[in-house]
Amino acid sequence: MFEKIKNNFNTQTWVLIPIAIAINIAVGQIVLALKLPVYLDSIGTVLVAALCGPWAGALTGALSNIIWGIAIDPNALPWWPVAFMIGYMAGRMAQWGFFKSWWKVVVTGFVVAITAALVSTPIAVYLYGGITASGSSFITAYLMQTGSDMISAVFSTNFLVEPVDKITTAMLAFAIVLGMPKRMIGGYPKASQVETEGVQSTTQLYIAIGVVVLLVLFAAFMLRNILGG
Amino acid sequence: MHERLSFHIKRDSVLHRLNPLTKLVLTLALIFLAFTFPWYWMPHLLILIAVIPLSLLGKVFREFWLTALKLILPAAGFLFLMQAFFQPIGTDVIFKFYFLDITSESLMFAFKNAMRVFVMVSAFTLFLLTTHPSELMSDLTRRGLPGQFAYVIISTLQIIPQMQAKAQTIISAQRSRGLDTESTFFKRAGSVLPLVGPLVFGSLVEVEERAIAIEARGFTSKHAKTSLHEIPDSDFDKILRWILFALIVFSIGLNLWLS
Repeated sequence: MFEKIKNNFNTQTWVLIPIAIAINIAVGQIVLALKLPVYLDSIGTVLVAALCGPWAGALTGALSNIIWGIAIDPNALPWWPVAFMIGYMAGRMAQWGFFKSWWKVVVTGFVVAITAALVSTPIAVYLYGGITASGSSFITAYLMQTGSDMISAVFSTNFLVEPVDKITTAMLAFAIVLGMPKRMIGGYPKASQVETEGVQSTTQLYIAIGVVVLLVLFAAFMLRNILGG
Repeated sequence: MHERLSFHIKRDSVLHRLNPLTKLVLTLALIFLAFTFPWYWMPHLLILIAVIPLSLLGKVFREFWLTALKLILPAAGFLFLMQAFFQPIGTDVIFKFYFLDITSESLMFAFKNAMRVFVMVSAFTLFLLTTHPSELMSDLTRRGLPGQFAYVIISTLQIIPQMQAKAQTIISAQRSRGLDTESTFFKRAGSVLPLVGPLVFGSLVEVEERAIAIEARGFTSKHAKTSLHEIPDSDFDKILRWILFALIVFSIGLNLWLS
C-alpha cells in the first residue's frame, strides 16, 4: 500500500504539482473571463493523475483547493475532498487504461463527474444545508421547493452540472498529453499509462465532441423539464 | 518582480508572535465550535467573544474587516438570502412573493448557517493575516511534515502570480491577433484552446529544468536539514494548544451525546 503511494512520486512529480495547481487556477480564471458555463478548474489535477498516478492526482486536487482557499477565496476550502476524489478517480481510470484514446477519455470524464457529484453532495448538505453560494443552487432550491428531499435535490443538480465540465476537462488534459513531446513525458512515474493507441484519428475526436454536445443538449432539456414543471 | 501571493501583514502583536501551529489549532477550534456546538447562538457568540477581540489583539482590525467585507459578506449574504427564501421548512410565513416564502424557521436557519460560514471564513482570514506562509511551513517541517509538502505549497504560492501574469499576456497577444473572446458562445468556446494551449505548454517546459535544479540542491536527501530561522514555541503555546484541543473534543462529544 505505502509503496504503491510512494511510486507516484519522484522529483518530477513534486515539481509538476505546483505547476499543475497554478494551471488549475489560471485556466479557471481564463474560463471565468470567457463567461463559459463550465469551470475547467481541474485540468492540472487530471494531468498529474494521468502522468503520475492516483495518489499524486489526489494530492494535487486537495492542495489546489486548499491553496485557492488560503490565497484567493476562503470559500473554496471546504470543497477539498471533492478535488481529492477527482484526482484519485482520474488516476485510477488512467491506470485501467482509460486515458489512451478520445472515447475512453470521455468515459473517464464521465466517471470523474459522477464521483465529484457523489462527494460534493454530503458537503453541500451538512455544511450549507443544501444551498451553497454557487449559481447552480437555484436549481437545487427549486427542486427543494417543489417537494424533493434535500439530498436528492442536491445530487440531481450536481449530476446535471458536473458531466459536461469534467468531460471537457478530461479531453483538454488528453489534448495536452497528445501535444507534449515524448521526451517530456518520459520522466514521469506513469508515463506508459498515456501511451496512445496507434494514431489518434480526428473522426474519433469529432465523435467525442458530438457526445459532449449531446450531453449539453440533454442537460439543457432536463433543466427545462425540471423548471417547466 | 512578482509579489508572493499571501494575505500576510507584518506587524508586531501577541497574535503574530504565537507559534504558527497554535494559530492553526485556534482556527480549527473556532470552526469546530461554530459547526458542532449544539447551541443556536454559538456562532454569533464566537464572533463577539473571539473573532472581534482576536482581530484587535492581532492589530489587523481594519485589514480584517476590509477583507471580510470584500470576501465573506457577498458569499455569506447570498447564502443567507438563498436559504431564507428556499428552505422548505416551517409553517409560520412572514413574507410571500409568488412561490417564494420566508418562514420564521427558515429565516433562523439561514441566519445560523450564514453565521457559521462567516466564522469559518473569518477564522481562516485572521490566521492568514497574522501568519507568514513560510513560517508555518518551516514550523510544520520541523515537526515532521515531509519537506516535499512545504516545497509544493511555498512554490505554488510563488508560481500562481507569475502564471496569472502569463495568462494575461497570452490573452492580450491572442486578442491582438484577432482572437474573438467576447462574442457568441461558440466563438468563445473555440477560443479556449488557443488561450490554454500556450499557457500550459509554456509552463510544462520548465518542469524538467526545475527538477534537475532542486535535485542538485539535495531535495531528495534523507538527512535532517538545518533551518536558518528558529521559530519560538513557548510553554504558553503548548498549554493553549491543549486547551483548544480539549474544547474541540468537548464540543464534538456534546454534539454526539445530545443527538
